Amino acid sequence: MPTKPRNSADTSLAILAIVGALLALAVWIPADSASGLIETVRRQTRVGDALGPTVAAGFILLGGILVLLRPVPSTARVVLGNLRYLAVLILGFAICIGLMRWTGPLAVLAMADETETYRNLRDTVPWKYLGFLAGGWLLVFSMISLGARRISGRAAFLALLACLALIAVYDLPFDDLLLPPNGDV
Amino acid sequence: MGAVDYIWLGVLAVFQGPELFSVAGLSIPVTLAMILAGFVLGIVVGATPGLAGPMAMAISLPILISVFGFTPDALLPVFGFLVGVMKGATVGGAVPAILFNTPGTPDAFMTTLDGHPMTKRGQSGKALRVAHFSSASGDTFSDLVLFLCAPFLAILVERYLDLPEKTALLILSLAFIASVMGRSVGKGLIALGLGLLVAMVGTGEEFYPRLSLGTETLSDGFPVVTVILGVLILGEVFKSLEALWFGDTRDAAVKNAAITGDQRLHGADIRRLLPYISRSAVIGTCIGALPGIGSTLAATLGYTTGRQLHARRNPEGPTFGEGVPEGIAATEAANSSVSGANLIPVLSLGIPGNAAAVFLILAADSIGGFNPGPSVFRLTPDTVNPEAVIAFGLFTTMLIANLVNWTLGGLFMRGVGIMIRVPRHILLPIVLLLTLTSIYVQETDLSAIWIAIAFGVLGYLMRLLDISPLPFVIAFILGGTLEDTARQAFSATGGDPFFLFSSVTAAIFMGLAVLVIGVSIRNSKDHP
Repeated sequence: MPTKPRNSADTSLAILAIVGALLALAVWIPADSASGLIETVRRQTRVGDALGPTVAAGFILLGGILVLLRPVPSTARVVLGNLRYLAVLILGFAICIGLMRWTGPLAVLAMADETETYRNLRDTVPWKYLGFLAGGWLLVFSMISLGARRISGRAAFLALLACLALIAVYDLPFDDLLLPPNGDV
Repeated sequence: MGAVDYIWLGVLAVFQGPELFSVAGLSIPVTLAMILAGFVLGIVVGATPGLAGPMAMAISLPILISVFGFTPDALLPVFGFLVGVMKGATVGGAVPAILFNTPGTPDAFMTTLDGHPMTKRGQSGKALRVAHFSSASGDTFSDLVLFLCAPFLAILVERYLDLPEKTALLILSLAFIASVMGRSVGKGLIALGLGLLVAMVGTGEEFYPRLSLGTETLSDGFPVVTVILGVLILGEVFKSLEALWFGDTRDAAVKNAAITGDQRLHGADIRRLLPYISRSAVIGTCIGALPGIGSTLAATLGYTTGRQLHARRNPEGPTFGEGVPEGIAATEAANSSVSGANLIPVLSLGIPGNAAAVFLILAADSIGGFNPGPSVFRLTPDTVNPEAVIAFGLFTTMLIANLVNWTLGGLFMRGVGIMIRVPRHILLPIVLLLTLTSIYVQETDLSAIWIAIAFGVLGYLMRLLDISPLPFVIAFILGGTLEDTARQAFSATGGDPFFLFSSVTAAIFMGLAVLVIGVSIRNSKDHP
């Protein structure tokens, strides 16, 4: 529902947009583009690489000024809780993706013979599924548990089922598709 | 070759394309099977609150491309599937709205107002039939307008617009999208600028990839699918997960209402509904033809117009909101007639107007051999333009999807009510893993997952800040085209800095762009 005309989240957004756009216009775009706005090479005038980003940053600047000077009813609201949620989410992703990335190589290190590497085994069962199952399972299981506000065997089973279903959809029918993390290792 | 020959070739491309199997010597083309499969999936996701057609399109795309490959033969089966999803989701969104007072898609919200009271009166079967009939009618009307308008508009663009005019038209479209999506023009412009800026990272004409901060990761630019899935799908999933974890929005118990009385839709009912359906179909089609406005506004306008008509015709009877079939008809015809017309700007100008159109463009872009835009309808008389054949093949798939909708849609609709029982706290994490896996199998790089998560965070923040993510996505897709066209126009006019005002048409487009933004700012000031 519409709230008061001047919204503090909108004001912060406007200031961020204005400062960001000015920094991009003054520092980032000139320093990180190989040509300027308009270039003349061998008597031919052409658009330089910096013009497009400058126009884009100009839109952001204009937008920021409009949000600041012409406030409209808005439901925008960012509180500390939102940022805390984002931090937890990203930490969760880091753990799950880390597990996905390293489970296979560590399992090979622990269980296969010393000369073998994960890279050689990444297209063989069960090695190629270990990382995806571990990381994917933890991701789905932890999120279902957070949603249900309790840990249950059902959540663990559903998470396993989801991972197996994705393996069945993406891996079993196609030789050319690689499940994570097998394209990286 | 004339236009009729091209249309016929398009039809043949669907029916004589790759064969799935044959029954008693009769070949079943794979495109037909894909349309049906897409339609069924679309109804299921449309009927599942928390899922949506674009989500299913996004997740299906890598699988479809893996199945069909990167050859021109893949285009029609993939388009057929996506068209099926688009149409199925439109119909399916009405099911939970009517049965459980929970709209499956945002544009089905107005359907709850009359649909659910009918269910409570034991008339759920009739309400679903009204919704299906109205939705299929609106959709078919919209498709016919698309078939008539898109080729002519494209031919006009090709014949009369040169590079400066095309550049100005792209700027006008982006200005329009930034102005009409969301409540604030300023936020629309921020999203637009951000989308353009992201599109320009790692690109350019010089040897050094601009805005890459000297890093290897950014020097190739951002992968298109990863950015779009991040902002559109992950952003939405992050927002919904937060509401589930910290809000009080856990799935409530669902009750089935008893069914009583006649549930069929009679000729007299249809005659009574037709004035509402026809008005709403015209409203939805007009709104759909304009990029970026969307089906929710169409549904609201269709419902409002229908309510006024109903009040004039039945001053003594029950009004909209009390469970009258006309309310469902007005809403469903309006929101369904947006989908076909939404492809008018895609096929005639190459400008996507909504999320479904974004995924059709992505599919074309990934497979290759078809570049949506005015050149598609270049009907060359001496040689065959394969893009025109595909475009008419796409129209054929839409007609077949409509046929499926008319014949089987109602049946499927009545069978997917069970989807409301799928708990969102289970569904969303699975969708999240599915999306991340889908991104990885396309990019085969864990950094793509991190990029998707980063853009998911951007999408989440945009939603928190009441910024529509679509101007960002559309600007990101059009950024490269806009810059290329502008570069060519600048060179072609001999480096004229005022090339955007070098002709009357281009100047009018630029004037309209300024006017659209100015009027939107004034309107937002008038209605604080």
